[in-house]
Amino acid sequence: MSLQINRRQLLAASAAVPFTGFFANPVQAAGATAGAIAGVSAADWPATLRTARGQTVYFNAWAGSERINAYLQWVAVELEKRHGVKLEHVKVSDTAEVVKRVRAEKQAGRNTDGSVDAVWINGENFLAMRRDALLYGPFAEALPNFALVDTVGKPTTRIDFSQTVDGMEAPWGMAQLTFFADSKVVAQPPRSMNEWVAYAKAHPGRMTYPKPPNFHGTTFLKQVLIEATGTTTADRAAFYQPVKTDDFAKLTAPLWATLDAVHPKLWREGKQFPASNTAMRQMLSDGELHISLTFNPNEAANEIAAKRLPESVVSWQHAAGTLGNTHFLAIAYNARAKEGAQVLINFLMSPEAQARKANIQFWGDPTVLAVDRLPAAEKALFAQGAVPGTVLQAAPALAEPHASWIDAIEREWLKRYGQ
Amino acid sequence: MTQRQTPSQVSSKAPWWIMPGAVFGLPLLAALWMGVAQAADTAAWSALLTDSQFPHALRLSLWTGTAASVLALMLTVITVTRLHGTRHWHTLQAALSPVLAVPHAAFALGLALLLMPSGWLSRCIAPLMGWLSPPDVATVQDPWGLGLILGLVFKELPFLLLNVMAQFQKVGQGAELERHLQVAASLGYDARSTWLRVLWPQLLPRLALPVLAVWAYSLTVVDMALVLGPTQPPTLAVLAWQWLQDSSDAVNRQGAAAALFLTVTMLAAALLCAAAAVPLRGVFRLRWTRGDRPAASPRSPISVVFAGLLASVYPVVLALLLFTSMVGVWRYPSLWPSVWTDAAWQAVAQSVPALQLTALLAVLSASSGLLLAVAWMELTPPHFDRYAPVLACMPMLVPGVLLVSGLYQLALWWHVDGTVWGLWLAHSLYTAPYAWVALAPAYRCFDVRLEQTSHALGRRHAAFLWRVKWPMLSAPMASAFAVGFAVSVTQYLSTQFIGAGRLSTVTTQALTLASGGQRNVAAAFALLQALLPAGVFAAAWWVGKRAAARGVPVSNAETATA
Repeated sequence: MSLQINRRQLLAASAAVPFTGFFANPVQAAGATAGAIAGVSAADWPATLRTARGQTVYFNAWAGSERINAYLQWVAVELEKRHGVKLEHVKVSDTAEVVKRVRAEKQAGRNTDGSVDAVWINGENFLAMRRDALLYGPFAEALPNFALVDTVGKPTTRIDFSQTVDGMEAPWGMAQLTFFADSKVVAQPPRSMNEWVAYAKAHPGRMTYPKPPNFHGTTFLKQVLIEATGTTTADRAAFYQPVKTDDFAKLTAPLWATLDAVHPKLWREGKQFPASNTAMRQMLSDGELHISLTFNPNEAANEIAAKRLPESVVSWQHAAGTLGNTHFLAIAYNARAKEGAQVLINFLMSPEAQARKANIQFWGDPTVLAVDRLPAAEKALFAQGAVPGTVLQAAPALAEPHASWIDAIEREWLKRYGQ
Repeated sequence: MTQRQTPSQVSSKAPWWIMPGAVFGLPLLAALWMGVAQAADTAAWSALLTDSQFPHALRLSLWTGTAASVLALMLTVITVTRLHGTRHWHTLQAALSPVLAVPHAAFALGLALLLMPSGWLSRCIAPLMGWLSPPDVATVQDPWGLGLILGLVFKELPFLLLNVMAQFQKVGQGAELERHLQVAASLGYDARSTWLRVLWPQLLPRLALPVLAVWAYSLTVVDMALVLGPTQPPTLAVLAWQWLQDSSDAVNRQGAAAALFLTVTMLAAALLCAAAAVPLRGVFRLRWTRGDRPAASPRSPISVVFAGLLASVYPVVLALLLFTSMVGVWRYPSLWPSVWTDAAWQAVAQSVPALQLTALLAVLSASSGLLLAVAWMELTPPHFDRYAPVLACMPMLVPGVLLVSGLYQLALWWHVDGTVWGLWLAHSLYTAPYAWVALAPAYRCFDVRLEQTSHALGRRHAAFLWRVKWPMLSAPMASAFAVGFAVSVTQYLSTQFIGAGRLSTVTTQALTLASGGQRNVAAAFALLQALLPAGVFAAAWWVGKRAAARGVPVSNAETATA
């Protein structure tokens, strides 16, 4: 029965959805199970809702924050109440674990009844799952609430690390590189990389960044690279293409020149770097560092609310913009509850769930929706007063360079400073 | 000769020895094969060998692992020689349980809280030094790995001491020890010379396996190295773990190659040491038997103070974990936090189901681990033990992340993924070798004459085991169970994979929450992780004490009357 539906959906989907990257290898696509290829169309939504009722969705999501976990508890209650779908939050410490788990399942021939239904994902993990055909879809753009997503104002909702998403994952929240510090220590926050460097030189041993290949460390390098390169789009165009070996040295020279100049003035004279941005946040709280960084613009506000940072902490972004991206939700190719997972994801994209997620009282993760296009009542859900620690002057979000730059930059950084 | 080959039933039930070996060995070898197969890739090897961090990371691993093991062994020898026979010995015996129960990661965190630039020690001396912000000095995560070595020594010293005590707990061994000391004293040797010339030469070879385990652990440790170890580059074990953790298959293979390289290096080094021990023993024998009587050296007050300081680190570390679990905002250099929070303990309070599952799994897998270890020793002739260490040390030696993908595939094939049964099997693979290492010395040296007497009195073998052998070995069996329990509690990767993330234990909760970098949560869960095994270790210690109080003659009388 379900196989028939899947076949029919497959035909509909292959007619309607322009296939790109994912089906570049037809043999691979044909070898995957029917479920992995099927997509839904909006017309099928009531059928999806019917099938989903009674299903249990295992949602594999990073669980390093009690507030996020508590938010998902609320989602579980609402989902059960509204759609009869049971949500189980599978707590993971690193999404790469989930990728490895699904890959092992594929190797063992477990092509149905997999352990992962939905997964919170983006960037390299998404690309890895997609490359190995471990994802179900495309499904995202057929979900009813996708129409509310601000795909124009927030182009990263359809582009993950310079690669088109093609409906293989659904946008969940926005992220942008943000700095924070105790205003009692840093009176005048540096609002450009040049000012950051000047501050570091004036305060030896108090500034640093996480050690690449840590995600935030690499992001910092990309920010330095982009700010050091020039301001016009033409200057930066090369970074949005796959990296080429012949001009890599020339294009990244400004990055290494900046780092060579500032490293001797950094924490531990640039011979050591903290493991992560969370380690840096702790060191900031201890007074060991002056400025830390994050990808969640509301992290400082969150930590103040959780009483882990003093109320005098302020957040800011560089005036000319900082790197921004989106985090997504995907479904595993061998998921047992594919319909339930779609119902969950659609609910997570609803104005109500997005507004609660954006509220610093609950989580503080910026919405992917076009709030100004929403009806007044739903728009009102997103209104919240100023709280300590939030970014006061939002800066433009800069697109992430092509994913191939990450590995090249990390490799070169490790070669230059890794020992 | 045939009489000396302990159990006569071995020859009649010879094929049975396959059973414990197979139950334990087959899944392990299968999982290992799948892990190692990842390393069969020339691209991975060339990526590893040309990696800019590789040579330095390998040197660091060898240095930290070897230095920590040698130091821990030296301190063990000094501690036992100095303390045995004094009133401190019993205090030490009682104190070992709680110390051993603290998981490595938890201890590392506590030690870092003490030593780091913004740590408690630094805050204590800040007013004297006039510091207003933490000094920019690497007191932990230093490039030489001293912080890691220190942490490892503190954790491995109690393990080695426990193994020495297990030797003493062997039937009759305590009395024999006293006899040696008395005879040597009557010949004019002071206690210290007796230890160095008579007792240690007998004890050290029996400690070879625990020392090997310590060494293997120190070389491949990841959780402690992440907190205390160098970062630029990290040790090879940490690098391998990071690569194996990556979502890219190619990077995973490079990690598998690194893990394999580390394992082979370690095995080669162990063989080299075993070969070197033979001529060294000859050299030492000349010194031990030259017949001089060194003057007894008085205990210097400095060494007492030093020992006291070392011992005080353990309670301080635990107290700091408790303190930190409630800290909100704590500005440097004040000694007292400005904001307290109970958020961490609220998270703990929500973890009661995880706590129950943790305890259930630990009891199940510690029992099966003990059962496997006992079965191995009952069903195999002692000389098989020469080959067992290779298999037994594998789960200790091979990075968990290398084994875990293979284990998960096995679980998928057997359809035990996401079940408690699957977790039980997976944990048993880890508890069995530890139980075996803890139990083997006492079990293998059980007095053969007791068995012969029992059989001569017409007792069946089962009756002998239940009424004589096992009651007399209750102390080492209890501590082997406790070790297995602690090992099960600390399992992270195997739990997360085989349980498909659906079954959460205290440790998986601790690590997933700790990935958010909240120190108070990490500290609270570290304490929680220590609490469960501490109870079991305390119980094992009590069993040992009761057995010692009952003494051997009681057991003999039971045999006679039974």
